[in-house]
Amino acid sequence: MHKFTVRIGVILAVVLASTVAIGGDDPAHERHELMEGVRDAAKPVGGMLQGELEYDADRVAQSLEVWAAAADELGGLFPEGSEGGEAAPAIWEDRAGFDAALVEWRDAIAAAQDAAPATLDEAGPTLGPVFNACKNCHDTYRIEEE
Amino acid sequence: MKKSKKLAIALPAILLLAAFWLTRPLALSSSDLPEHTPDIVAGERMFWVGGCASCHASMVDGRRARGDDKLRLGGGLELDTSFGLFRVPNISPHYEDGIGSWSMLEFVNAMQRGVAPDGRHYYPSFPYTSYALMPIEDVMDLKAYIDTLPAVAGRIEDHALSFPYSVRRSIGVWKRLYLDDRPVVDVDTGDESLLLGRYLVEGPGHCGECHTPRDRLGGLIPGQWLAGAPNPDGEGRVPNITPAASEIGGWSVRNIANYLKSGFTPDFDTVGGSMVAVQENLAMLGDADREAIAAYLKAIPPVE
Repeated sequence: MHKFTVRIGVILAVVLASTVAIGGDDPAHERHELMEGVRDAAKPVGGMLQGELEYDADRVAQSLEVWAAAADELGGLFPEGSEGGEAAPAIWEDRAGFDAALVEWRDAIAAAQDAAPATLDEAGPTLGPVFNACKNCHDTYRIEEE
Repeated sequence: MKKSKKLAIALPAILLLAAFWLTRPLALSSSDLPEHTPDIVAGERMFWVGGCASCHASMVDGRRARGDDKLRLGGGLELDTSFGLFRVPNISPHYEDGIGSWSMLEFVNAMQRGVAPDGRHYYPSFPYTSYALMPIEDVMDLKAYIDTLPAVAGRIEDHALSFPYSVRRSIGVWKRLYLDDRPVVDVDTGDESLLLGRYLVEGPGHCGECHTPRDRLGGLIPGQWLAGAPNPDGEGRVPNITPAASEIGGWSVRNIANYLKSGFTPDFDTVGGSMVAVQENLAMLGDADREAIAAYLKAIPPVE
């Protein structure tokens, strides 16, 4: 009886582990989740830049941290063989160009973090390059899904 | 007997004449041009809302032009469609390879009647059915602006279309069916912003060319105005942008205007696909123009 329970436990553990392994080995899913987080962090900042939300320097700093972490991680989520989803084939055809686009984004984030804009007037020119980097990279390296 | 023989000879001749007459290019004459001193600054606005660069700018290293390269209108883009291969011509002011030798009247006839300087019809892949809604003065301003842009060398080969589409003359009949310079949607004519929005969207902006589905002959279906259509240059669909649209229908005037300016949706996703180039063009306009476009899109009939 005790042996049987252990055996069931082992089987469950193996099944669970393999599920986690599959989940953890799905870069297409991971990069999608990561970009969703990036977008969620952009919403309040975008609202401030468009004058719909009151400027909040702390909230901007938080979003910059989210983006910095994402920019560091994102490049590793497009290994050979993980083509698909909204990732354009150009990522694998022109890896250097893709990496450069990520660096452009990361540098813009770092510059904005250094500048730490305290007011909306300061934030516009400082954060503009960060948002432009989103668009520039998507323009070439993302395809629209239906 | 004799009479029917005469008819047998006369009828084909009459039909031929009728066909010749029906398919003839209907061009404006110099007396149709208004007294107008072209304004280069106003022409630049028409250039951006008209989206000339999106098709005519020369590619750079196999990619679409960005920044100032959008002003080099050497053409060369190829549109692979079910009718055959369209090659976008050079419309830079280059004298031999572009349109540098064109008169004002030739330019206006190309833009608004779809007629080339040599009298041939243009295929409606060039959206002259929309540009027909522009006041001639705006078209004249546009030419004055294009004349200031760099002359780009390199003549583009003619289209390679399959029969019967290769018969240009047949476009004459198509134009009689679909070339119309009247506005598409009735709007409150007391609202200046709505009138401006209607003009920008239906005329130079030629939004309907991609966002409105077409009938079998390739004419836009008025009852489905801006209700979304298959993507003409690829997979997927161009979205419905009427107030009944599942996504954009819920956007406010401000959301739409912001999107056209910044390229970000209210959810802070970025603009995608062929709309990227359109949005970049519209970002060059003033806020009032984008707000007028947005106001018009909220005022048109909702189509599911």
